[in-house]
Amino acid sequence: MPIDFNKLIALFAYDQYDPLLFSSAFFMFLFFFILIIYRITSPVRILRVLVLIAFSFYFYYKSSGLYFLLLVLASIINYSSALGIFNSKRVKRRIIFISAVAVNLLILGYFKYTDFFISLVNNFRTDELQLIDVFLPIGISFYTFKAISYLVDVYWEVLEPERNFLDLTLYISFFGNILAGPIDRASAFLPQVKREYFLSKRQFSTAVLLIISGLIKKVVIADYISINFVDRVFDFPTRFSGVENLLAVYGYSLQIYCDFSGYTDMAIGVSLLLGYHLMENFNFPYKATSIADFWRRWHISLSSWLADYLFRPLQMKFRDLRLYGNIIALLITFLLCGLWHGASWTFIFWGFLHGFYMAFSLLTAKPRNLIIEKTGLRGTKALTIIQGVITFQLVSFAWIFFRAPSFEYAGDMLNQIFTFFHPEIFTQFIGGYPSVIMLMILGYLLHFIPKSLELKTINFLENRNIIVHAVILAVFIWIAAQVKTSEIQPFLYFQF
Amino acid sequence: MISERLKAAILKELKLDDYEFTDETAASQVPGWDSLNHINVILAVEKEYKIRFKNIEILRLRNIGELQDLINSKIQNAH
Repeated sequence: MPIDFNKLIALFAYDQYDPLLFSSAFFMFLFFFILIIYRITSPVRILRVLVLIAFSFYFYYKSSGLYFLLLVLASIINYSSALGIFNSKRVKRRIIFISAVAVNLLILGYFKYTDFFISLVNNFRTDELQLIDVFLPIGISFYTFKAISYLVDVYWEVLEPERNFLDLTLYISFFGNILAGPIDRASAFLPQVKREYFLSKRQFSTAVLLIISGLIKKVVIADYISINFVDRVFDFPTRFSGVENLLAVYGYSLQIYCDFSGYTDMAIGVSLLLGYHLMENFNFPYKATSIADFWRRWHISLSSWLADYLFRPLQMKFRDLRLYGNIIALLITFLLCGLWHGASWTFIFWGFLHGFYMAFSLLTAKPRNLIIEKTGLRGTKALTIIQGVITFQLVSFAWIFFRAPSFEYAGDMLNQIFTFFHPEIFTQFIGGYPSVIMLMILGYLLHFIPKSLELKTINFLENRNIIVHAVILAVFIWIAAQVKTSEIQPFLYFQF
Repeated sequence: MISERLKAAILKELKLDDYEFTDETAASQVPGWDSLNHINVILAVEKEYKIRFKNIEILRLRNIGELQDLINSKIQNAH
């Protein structure tokens, strides 16, 4: 059969709706070759770095076209301003710092929030301004936050500015974490660019396991329950009973976890194969026993970014207000956290809910502790379970606003849950959606896999040769392909 | 070296009986010293030494050793 070269070229060309997702066969295929080229070139430092930069630019180009030049621009701006901050004193230093952060935020703001602000302004005008419909380049929120953390660290003098332009370009553009994080810190990433390429057998096995578990979470669990159940309910909540709406909310809690943490697992695994250790991003978030605990386990690279660069500066600014200083800092941080996720009031409200939960828990800390003491629950397993269940309900409630297309939809869902529950439908539901139910149970059980099993699997993989690895990986990719419906669902998080 | 005075102020604020601080101890390692409680520890230290830190001075601290150094430099400047 003759090869259709036009189709082949189209596969490689820019397509806004066809990003290079780690879970796609095309990415795996490309990455295999990149890995070989990388291994061959790795003894020469500059070549090794250039290979990664070139692939990262291509990765970006694939879904955002010429906007990959934004990465070049961001690298130039942040490289030169960090050096400028380092080499200046007092007022000049401050001016360079503030303007560099402002430029980063303005670029992010233009691409992500222009229409949101136009519609805000329209609320106060009789003649409506036209929306511009700005193209949203992928991962812009992620690499902008990486860049800002770098600038702040240099400004705070906890990090020396990078003197090698290519190294900084790779930090900004690295394909492994550009689409959906983790939002790695320059202080951890840059030394790895300088280090020689090395991959132990154990690291290789860990990477393979991460890619497999990511595939299962993302393609098998998240995509399946979203297409076959969660999306249907969220798109037409009034067509379903309360019990189905409630299950869809719990389904979405699981879906977003498996989708996002699965994708991060793959990102960490893929990067590890190139010798890069990215930061941990999830730590069994639904085991959390409080909202504060949840944020120490969920999207850790973002929550620690917000804690270091937004919450703590605000907290110190308002520290004389003590408790209320904390509360003000929390509310501002979480409102902006909501806005970071998307230019819409539903995201802002989701952020507000989390800020409110945290503030409420601070304000009620004393009476709650008193109750725990009086009831003799302190230190018991029962308390952990009660707190875990309450936290999960609060988080799931907030997810409704995160996922729902608008407040009307969220309202409809809550209305169905509270006024049209019909618990008898539950048995029908189990009969109608056996695989969805099974995957949901499996997904939640993932939270309770003992660490020892993970270590045993890595040990097992470590003692096998590369052919066995390839076969195992192929089997899982095949399984994923079987489960996958005709099209790969776009990754939930990269629109943020 | 962490002075007894700083140690006592921190232990009192965190309601701890004792804790072995080294220069490299980070706040997150100390029981009860989380990001929310941080505000109270810093205020307690400022009160103990009757000093006022600039925001940026606190933000760039990485461990208790650096906090001690910052206090020392503040006290010296005051004299």
